[in-house]
Amino acid sequence: MNRSEILEKIGIILTSVLGHDNFELQENLSAKDVDGWDSLTHMIIITEIEAKFEVRFKLKELNKLNNMGNLLDLVSNKLAEK
Amino acid sequence: MSSYILRQANNEDIPFLAKTIMEAEKSGTEKFSFSTLFNKNEKEALQLIEQMLEEEIVGCEISINSFKVIEFDGKVVAAFAGWIETFDTEITSGLLKSNLIGYTFGKESIHFFMGKSNLLKEIQIKREPKTLQLEYLYVLPEYRGKKLTNELINKHINDARNLFLHLKKVQVQVFKNNSGAIKVYENCGFKITKVFKSKNEEILDYLPSNEKYLMEKKLN
Repeated sequence: MNRSEILEKIGIILTSVLGHDNFELQENLSAKDVDGWDSLTHMIIITEIEAKFEVRFKLKELNKLNNMGNLLDLVSNKLAEK
Repeated sequence: MSSYILRQANNEDIPFLAKTIMEAEKSGTEKFSFSTLFNKNEKEALQLIEQMLEEEIVGCEISINSFKVIEFDGKVVAAFAGWIETFDTEITSGLLKSNLIGYTFGKESIHFFMGKSNLLKEIQIKREPKTLQLEYLYVLPEYRGKKLTNELINKHINDARNLFLHLKKVQVQVFKNNSGAIKVYENCGFKITKVFKSKNEEILDYLPSNEKYLMEKKLN
């Protein structure tokens, strides 16, 4: 799966959890730029991403995430390890 | 305070800190959010809280590093967490806590929570960057009325100021039903600055109250 395919799938998860698609799906997008992406929905978004890609993140990895680019790196690394 | 010792919490305090988190979450009721919102019984929820504390995350309320405790004759009798919001890390305490819960509680609990999260939106209070945040106060009942909370708050403020000279404000969030805690905070110079209320009373099946106060103390 390439980066843009991963991004597209994450976009679908975001739209479904947040109930809107008012965001620009790009590398420097961060939670604070997105309406409704708060501590409550974050937990759900991450869990859905893990389920969708069948990967498991470490706590340290999650706490380093600053933006969509980081998240894409993390998911592609996890997929490559499989 | 002759026999009392106020100190930074350490790993050995984890059981007391987990109890502190549970009692503070319950706010004098039987509604324990880590149990009710995540479909775990009380014992399981307590164990998971202990696991979260063992992760030694810095910068949020579920952190040994944030807690100060008071000992009396070798026994811990009070605890209170405090941290400067987004000071050690860029990531907010809310997201740190969210990562901790998601990681520790697992998929099924988070799926259960998914159906409830909307209930919490209206009483979700954003934490202000670079302010001292206090959370999770618990004093054993027989040690109440001895001003131990004042000591804990003062120590948190002094330590936070040593780290961050420009600290201007301390904030604490409290459920409306917890009149005991509100009084103690008022006596320590806190004032209610905002009221958050959820109109959906279903929330009372999961949380101690549908109303939360933001209380603040300004520092000179």
